[in-house]
Amino acid sequence: MSIKFNFIFFLATSLLIFSSCSDDDNSGSTPPSPPSLPIQQYSNLHADQDVDYTTNPPTYSGEFIKFDFETGSTTTSETDWDIAFRGTTILVNGGDTTGISQEPLRTGSAAAYIYDGLFQDLTEVDESLLRTDDMNDGLAIPTGSGNGWYNYSSMVITPIAGKVLVFRTADNRFAKMEIISYYKDAPTDITNEIATNDNRYYTFNYIYQPEAGNNSF
Amino acid sequence: MKLTYTIFMMFISTFMSFGQSNMTLGQDTSFQLKEDIGEVVISATRTSKNQNSVPLPVTIITREEIINSNFVTLDEAINEQSGLMTIPDFGGGEGIQIQGFDSEHVLILMDGVPIIGRLAGTLDLKRFNLGNVERIEIVKGASSSLYGNEALGGVVNIISKSPEEGMHGDVNYRGSTWNTHDINTNLGFSKNNFGITSFFDHNRSDGYDLTPETSGKTVSPFYNFTSNTRMSYAFSPKTSLTAIGRYYGQTQDYSVDSSNGESSIDEWNVTAKIDAELKGVQLCGELYLSDYSTLEFADNDQLERVYEARYDQKLIRPELRGVFHMGNNHEFIAGLGLNHEQLVRSSFWLDPKINTLYTYLQYDASILQEKVNLILGARFDKHQEYKSQLSPKVAIQWNASEKFNMKTSLAYGFKAPDFRQLYFDFSNSSVGYTVLGYNAVSNRLAELDNQGELIEIIVPISEYSGRLQAENSLNFNFGLSYHPSKEILLNANFFYNRVQDLIDTRVIARKTNGQNVFSYHNIDEISTFGCEFNLRWSPSENFRISSGYQLLYAYDRAAIDEFKNDNVFGRLAPNQPVFRLDRSDYFGLLNRSRHMANMKLFTLVPFINCDFNLRGTFRSKYGLFDSNNNNYLDTYDEFVGAYSIWDFAFSKEVLGKFRIALGMDNVFNFTDAKNISNIPGRSLYSKISFSFNS
Repeated sequence: MSIKFNFIFFLATSLLIFSSCSDDDNSGSTPPSPPSLPIQQYSNLHADQDVDYTTNPPTYSGEFIKFDFETGSTTTSETDWDIAFRGTTILVNGGDTTGISQEPLRTGSAAAYIYDGLFQDLTEVDESLLRTDDMNDGLAIPTGSGNGWYNYSSMVITPIAGKVLVFRTADNRFAKMEIISYYKDAPTDITNEIATNDNRYYTFNYIYQPEAGNNSF
Repeated sequence: MKLTYTIFMMFISTFMSFGQSNMTLGQDTSFQLKEDIGEVVISATRTSKNQNSVPLPVTIITREEIINSNFVTLDEAINEQSGLMTIPDFGGGEGIQIQGFDSEHVLILMDGVPIIGRLAGTLDLKRFNLGNVERIEIVKGASSSLYGNEALGGVVNIISKSPEEGMHGDVNYRGSTWNTHDINTNLGFSKNNFGITSFFDHNRSDGYDLTPETSGKTVSPFYNFTSNTRMSYAFSPKTSLTAIGRYYGQTQDYSVDSSNGESSIDEWNVTAKIDAELKGVQLCGELYLSDYSTLEFADNDQLERVYEARYDQKLIRPELRGVFHMGNNHEFIAGLGLNHEQLVRSSFWLDPKINTLYTYLQYDASILQEKVNLILGARFDKHQEYKSQLSPKVAIQWNASEKFNMKTSLAYGFKAPDFRQLYFDFSNSSVGYTVLGYNAVSNRLAELDNQGELIEIIVPISEYSGRLQAENSLNFNFGLSYHPSKEILLNANFFYNRVQDLIDTRVIARKTNGQNVFSYHNIDEISTFGCEFNLRWSPSENFRISSGYQLLYAYDRAAIDEFKNDNVFGRLAPNQPVFRLDRSDYFGLLNRSRHMANMKLFTLVPFINCDFNLRGTFRSKYGLFDSNNNNYLDTYDEFVGAYSIWDFAFSKEVLGKFRIALGMDNVFNFTDAKNISNIPGRSLYSKISFSFNS
């Protein structure tokens, strides 16, 4: 504890001295840093689905809701989309048909991987980890509790802390995304009622890098 | 929570100070206390020994304590011992926890033979009525060197009454809250070479409901029946035949919404053994048979069967053992036996049959003017389905003086993969996931793949061509015992357990329905360590107070690494920002409390000549599940708060043959409906006993 404290104290003191020095010598402005990309939030993307439990295994159906990072909104375009949601399933607009019912045709070069860490710590995309959806290898963002972005327990879907979804968009830009909530208006306390009635509403934070070829944020 | 803790500590400190002020008084009494002699224990070494002279940590629950505390079933007695507690299972059973090990890793014996019937690993202690139990011995730490499989965290041996000379018997009735009734009788007869004792018990209850707002009860109504008969005949002073038969049957009715169901258990245990002495060698040949079967079903409101599951496990175990003495101070014990186990169960890939041949040898020496007791032992289990196990043990006790001794032991323990982990083939019909036993994977996963049910196989099938290894542990104990006068006994035990190859589930394939296929594998490495303290002060025959405490740390080794490598994250609430957790944020394994304590006072109330006891147990906070979904139990998870439970009872002997008892369990009416299903609220009971002998 005291070591930590001393270190912080030392840091604080030196910062103070350093900043006062630079004030004094007044040698001109520091080089302008590139304007940092804004964190954007999309709330309540409603990705409903129908589940028929009378069959074994249950059958899932419903329209996938497509999302375009460039416009920052959902879209019904056949080609101009990056990722698509239905229930807990997330598809990318890249790769092959995987056999899921009503999946949209993939026309772009989108891909994804999951980064373990803090959202702000991911500063550069590791392109070697990107993969597309695939009939044999499954989805780039795997479904199932604990496999991909969420855990399922006590009837509640919880985004796993420290899972950042990293995307290459359909037109070769990059984006990173952190899912905040699967429930309407991102409530703090997910009651049984919310869990049954207000589910499949995504709220997520993301940063989109619009510059072609730039894989850093 | 804080309040109950404070009350508990207040009680302890009050009694402690009370104890000190009366110490001189106690030393003047000339009673020869029973505790001084020490209780006899047989489970630790398989020969009768004084508890104080066994170099292993042993707890004994005596008949006297069972009667005075008015315990009905084993779980109640276990919960009041230092370092022991029961944990409710999701199936409604209650399993034991010893030194941080759960029920799966504790062997339960009845009169020295193993009890079977662990549907999901837990062995429910509510199955054992204590009406005919003479004492319960609990050996803490690994004992696989004598008992083999499952004896990893400890061994519990329930020892039933033996026939006494003459004709004797008792009838007992206990009635309590929730329309709970227990009625039983012991009848015994012994003359010359022949002895017989029988026990019959009937127990029933309406159960209780901690959540009246939801359909179905927390514990559904049940009734059960226990019968136990033991016969012995001595052909000669050195040769005798013993036969023990036990039956336990329980039926429990469920009713949730419009569906009704029932779950029933039938259990048989039969033991036949011959003891003989041949040229100074005591020989024992024993044959043990056991059958445990259950049937569960549920019907909907149209009386259509919507669910049915069966389980039928059989064990046949012949064993031959011998004890040989070389002089007074060297003893050898050797045994040879065979375990034949079979199971027929719903959702199984096949009906398994497993044979295990085993042999063990133990050397017990009293050396250096009998100041040092040394035990060396080992057992070899030859298995078909997993690697054969050699389980050694070494234990030493040094009696520095009559007042002070030190003991230490190092032992290996193991638990073989159970039938579920090897042969399960279960698909959940509503959610759609599948669980496969290790040995079922190669066939069944390929079948699922051919049927087009899989998207992706994550773990190659070739990884399942080998064998699942037994979970194994290294156990170390170091104990000190101080007995300054016959009124006071103080002891401490420090323990460390390192477990390897713990079996866990993992996802091996993804299904087209978005669900997973799970199977078992050896991965986890855990360690548990801590210490236990016990203090007993009994200044007179009519006053005894004891107190115990356990400190426990239980960690998953891989989790510690993940925390150290900064790979664990959390949120304060579901919609809050993510942050990184430190090593210091790791709490440990689920369902393990760092602190637990107990206090017991037994005394005689003057003037009215009535026995009184007050007993309390305390458990510090623990985690039940990873509420923030980062796969680990950390300080930001929701915890079950600390609590204490207090019981008291009065009892009095009337007319020499009757005993009347009145008591209250859970005086402060503690309940936690959300997290703790096995603690009902306050309950009142009365008990009447009648005993006779001629």
